Amino acid sequence: MDLIISLVINGLATGMLIFLLAAGLTLIFGLMDVLNFAHGGLFVWGAYTGIFSYAYTGSFIVGIVVAILTGLVFGFIMEKLIITPVYGNHVQQILITLGFMLVLQEMIKVFFGPNVVAVKVPEYLAGSWQVGDIIIIKYRIFIIIFGFIVFGLFHYILTRTKVGLIVRAGVMNKDMVQALGINIKRIFLFVFMTGAALAAVAGVLMAPYSGSIYAELGMEYAILAFIVVVIGGMGSFQGSLFAAILVGLAGSFMAYYVPYLSLAVNMILMAVVLIFRPQGLFQAAKG
Amino acid sequence: MNKPILLSRSNLILFIIFLALIAFPFVMDSRTLTILLTQILIFGILAMSYDILLGYTGIVSFGHAMFFGIGAYCTAIMLNDFESTIGVFLGSIVVGMIIAGILSFLVGLLTLRLKSHFFAMLTMAISGLLLVVAEKWRDVTKGNDGFTFKAPDVFKDRIVFYLVVLALLVIVFITLKRFVNSPLGRVLIAVRENEQRTKSLGFKTLYYKVIASIVAGVIASLAGSLYAVSLRFVNTSVLTMEITLDALLMTIIGGVGTLIGPLIGSVVIESAQHYLSGLARDFPIFERWIIFFGIIYILAVIFFPKGIAGTLQSKYYQWKAKKVQTTNVVPLSKNKESSE
Repeated sequence: MDLIISLVINGLATGMLIFLLAAGLTLIFGLMDVLNFAHGGLFVWGAYTGIFSYAYTGSFIVGIVVAILTGLVFGFIMEKLIITPVYGNHVQQILITLGFMLVLQEMIKVFFGPNVVAVKVPEYLAGSWQVGDIIIIKYRIFIIIFGFIVFGLFHYILTRTKVGLIVRAGVMNKDMVQALGINIKRIFLFVFMTGAALAAVAGVLMAPYSGSIYAELGMEYAILAFIVVVIGGMGSFQGSLFAAILVGLAGSFMAYYVPYLSLAVNMILMAVVLIFRPQGLFQAAKG
Repeated sequence: MNKPILLSRSNLILFIIFLALIAFPFVMDSRTLTILLTQILIFGILAMSYDILLGYTGIVSFGHAMFFGIGAYCTAIMLNDFESTIGVFLGSIVVGMIIAGILSFLVGLLTLRLKSHFFAMLTMAISGLLLVVAEKWRDVTKGNDGFTFKAPDVFKDRIVFYLVVLALLVIVFITLKRFVNSPLGRVLIAVRENEQRTKSLGFKTLYYKVIASIVAGVIASLAGSLYAVSLRFVNTSVLTMEITLDALLMTIIGGVGTLIGPLIGSVVIESAQHYLSGLARDFPIFERWIIFFGIIYILAVIFFPKGIAGTLQSKYYQWKAKKVQTTNVVPLSKNKESSE
C-alpha cells in the first residue's frame, strides 16, 4: 500500500509536468491547426533560463518568473517569424518547427554550455514528510498542487471569461469567429505565447525534479507530450490532463514493476488509441 | 519522356561526375578526403531514400533513423558473430533490407492512414521506442558503448570500400530514377499533389504510400549497413533522431523532389560538418555548426522550398525552353493539404 501511494505520487507529479507541456500544445493545435514540434525547445529554454536565474538570485520564484517571460518572448518571436508564413500547410509546418527545435536546442549549448547542469531543490521545498511508513517528497506534492492550480486557472479562463469563450469558439470554427469581427490572429498570438509560457514553466519545474538538465531533454519530454496530446484528443484541455495523468501513472508503475516496458507502455497506449480512436479519447467539438 | 536532348545532356554531366569520382582516390592521395567522400556517398544514399518519402510522396517521417539503424546493426552483428567475409557482408545487407522492409511495411500499414501530423509524431515515437529497446538490450547491441568489429579484409583498403559505395550509390540512383519515373512513381507524385483527387481517380493511395515507405526503408537500411562498415563500429547513435535530422536537412537544403538534390545536400552538409568542426578550434561558435544549417533550413523551407537542385533546375528549364513543362519538379509549397 505504501509503495502504491508513493508510486501514485510519482506518477501524478510526472503527469502534471507533462500536462503543462501538453496543454499548450493541444490548445495551439486545436485553435491554430499547427503542431508545434519546437515545443520541447521552449521547455528546455524555460528550464535553463529559469534555473540559471534561480542560481544567480537564489530565489526559485524569480526563476519561475524568468521562465515565464522567456516563454512569452520566444512564443512571440516564434509565432511572428516561424508560424505565420506557413499557416495552412501542414508539411511545411512540421518541417519548419522541427528545424526551429534544432536551432533552439543548439542555442542552449551555445549560451549555457553543452554539459549537464545539476539542479538542487530550493530549501523550503526540499526534504520530505513521513506519514506512517510512507515517505512523501515535498517537491512532488508541490508540483502536483501547482499543476492543479494551473489547470483550475485555465479551466476558469476557458469556461468563464470572454477570452476563453473566443478561444473555445475558435477551436470549433475559426472562420466564424473571424466573421463575427474578432481579430483571430491576435487570439492565435495570445494562445501561442501562453502555450510557450506553460512549456517554459514545465521546464523550470522539471529541473529540480529530475535533478539535472541538458539540451536534449526537450525532445524527450516533447515526445511524451505528443503521446499525451494524441491520447487526450487534439484540442481538448481536459483530455490532456486526463491523458497526462494516465501516462504519468503508467510510467511510474511500469518503471517499478516492468522497467523494460516503461517507455513502451506509452507507445502502446498511443498506438491503440490511434488505431481505434484516431480523434483521441476526448475530442474537442470541431465545426 | 518528351525531352531526350535535355535528358541526355544531364546524363552526360552525371556520367562525367561519376568518372571524376572514380578517378578521385587515384589522383588525390588523401586518406581523409577519401573517408569524407565515402561518408558523403553513404549519407547521399540515405538522403535519396528519404526524398522518396518527403519529396515524391509528400509524407514527413521522423522515424527514418530506425531503418538506417537496423541496417547498421544487422551488418555489425553478423560480421561480428560470423566470419567477416564479403559473403557475410552481402548477406547482412540483404537481411537488413528484409527486416527493414518488413518493419516499414508494418509501420506504414499502421500509420500511413493517419493525417500528416499524426504520422510524423507516430514515426518519431516508434523510432524513439526502438532506440530505447537498443539501449536496454545490451546483450546484442552493447547499448550506448557500442562495439567494434572486423570489416572484411578487402575493405581494409579505403579506396576499395569507397569504390564499392560509389557503385552502390549509382545502382541506387538509377533504380530510384526508374522507380520515380515509372507509372507507380507518377502515382506517388499525384498523392503528393492532391491525395483526395488521386483517391477519387480510383487509386488506393494507402497501398502506394506503403510501397513508398518500404522502398525508402529498404534503401535506408542499405545506407546503414555501409555506414557501420565504414566506421567498423556501431552504437545506438545510429538510431537517434540526429540521423533523421541529417537526412531531412540534406533533402531540404539540397532540393526535395529531385534525386540529385539530396546528393548535393549530402555534399554540402557533410563537408560543412567536416570543415566547420575544423574551424571550431579558432572560433568556438563553429562547434555548433548545426545552428547555421538549422537557420538555412528554416529559410529554405520558407523561401526556397525547392532547395538548391530544384531552384537551379527550374531556372535552367525556364531559361532553356519555355515549352518544356517542368513535370519533374513541382514545388512542395504547392502541396495543398488534401487530407483535411
